[in-house]
Amino acid sequence: MLMCKDLAEIASDYIDGELSTPQSLAVRMHLMMCKHCRSFIGNLRASTDLIQAHSYAEPDEEMMCRIDQRIAEALKARKKG
Amino acid sequence: MDTAVQKDSEYALIEALQQGDASAYEKAVRAYSSGMLAVARFYLEPSSAEEIVQDCWVTVIDAIQKFEGRSGLKTWLHRIVANRCKNKLRSNKREVITDFSELLDPELAERFNASRRWDQPPRLRFDESADVLLENGALSDCLDKHLSALPETQRSALMLYEAHQHTSEDVCNILDVSASNLRVLLHRARQKIFLMVETFQESGEC
Repeated sequence: MLMCKDLAEIASDYIDGELSTPQSLAVRMHLMMCKHCRSFIGNLRASTDLIQAHSYAEPDEEMMCRIDQRIAEALKARKKG
Repeated sequence: MDTAVQKDSEYALIEALQQGDASAYEKAVRAYSSGMLAVARFYLEPSSAEEIVQDCWVTVIDAIQKFEGRSGLKTWLHRIVANRCKNKLRSNKREVITDFSELLDPELAERFNASRRWDQPPRLRFDESADVLLENGALSDCLDKHLSALPETQRSALMLYEAHQHTSEDVCNILDVSASNLRVLLHRARQKIFLMVETFQESGEC
């Protein structure tokens, strides 16, 4: 029988649809009976949505400029060569 | 975060890169470097990771001439970074060591009793949508802080899968991990963010 901790261990697989049909069915049966696990799955899904929706800081502009400079030098050398 | 250029304009960008157009390189550097850095950080410490990304861009100038478009530009660039990192590790006789044995974050594991039932169940429901939650700047900052604090392997896997929207198969190839180990990395990282949001929602503290 699937217990709460077992469900927590495979919760991401359930959210991403990576479980086999019998495993997924066992999770759904458990969720029907357990409000704590329903909260957990809902919150883990919300956390995943948050990670996807977040605007991430790009690498700093100084790093980009260092890359631009190296590319410019390499392009110049390539034209000469 | 995924600033990858849309498919139709990707072809034009590739052509411009093949012609050695400096402004196309500037555009590509800004669109793809964050993902390339995420790949490099999986394998190497931060300063070596940046160096590898710089070296890769120089390599791209020649390599792009042979780009056949079997994968997207983003995946192709990420694979170049991964291969270069793996070569560097091999030459230094080092490897990435990650523990894939524990499926649960220790803090979450402690919340279950010996019968594997919840001892300390989730304290509240995150009812608001992600967009609404992220309108709170303090939560957004806290998310950045906790993502930065993740183990490099977890963060890279999470960034490539969630933020850069690679398929599982691509992430496994790029990071050289099995599908089951990728699942562990993603699950562990998500649990950390779940715990962070729970604390933040409850106390306002990060």
